[in-house]
Amino acid sequence: MYMRKYEVFFIVDPDLNDEETTSIEKKFREIVEREGGRVLTYKSWGKKRLAYPVKKRTRGHYFLMEMAGDSELPLEVERNMRIDDRVLKFITVKLEDRYDPTKDQTPEPQEPAEEERVNQTSEEAETVENASQDTIESGLEVKEEE
Amino acid sequence: MAASVTRQIIRKRRRFFRHKKVCRFCADSSLKIDYKDPSILQNFLTERAKIVPRRITGNCAKHQRELTRAIKRARQMALLPYTTLHTI
Repeated sequence: MYMRKYEVFFIVDPDLNDEETTSIEKKFREIVEREGGRVLTYKSWGKKRLAYPVKKRTRGHYFLMEMAGDSELPLEVERNMRIDDRVLKFITVKLEDRYDPTKDQTPEPQEPAEEERVNQTSEEAETVENASQDTIESGLEVKEEE
Repeated sequence: MAASVTRQIIRKRRRFFRHKKVCRFCADSSLKIDYKDPSILQNFLTERAKIVPRRITGNCAKHQRELTRAIKRARQMALLPYTTLHTI
């Protein structure tokens, strides 16, 4: 029912080209989804100078990924980060213990459902109740598929 | 008798030399402690990148605890140095 919300902050080799950085994103998104979790955000924080050399590199490309899943999820993600040579360093921090995926906290998958709700309320005032129930159900379905 | 005298001295000293420090994070709630933001954490490090103790910064215990945790995490992520003499 409840999931846990984590953020993974990690440094990737700055000398990689764009293709490889997107392939890393793809890879970790797949891993999270395979483990029954969900990626909430995935952002690049840009290339920065490191305070000290890591694997003989003085610069690093920082990334921040927020994800939700069970307690096994970070173990699997970190295991894969250790294997991947392109990832220089990583840290996982738990943000929330009881993250409720059914509540609207995730901007990515919930956007279409919200749009529907807005349209229906503006069109017909009488069927608002039915419509909102429908959208809630459809929202649940979307989540189960994911 | 002796105890009361020393107490008086301490009180006197305090009146003359110290003014009360306020925890910066309690005073300004917009200031968030985040290990991903080294610019704020930098203020609480010495030139040798050591964590400045609470008795000098005036932070409250709760925020000092959060701060040290954040600094240690930032060090892990190479956002802050462990020392100024880093060698490979």
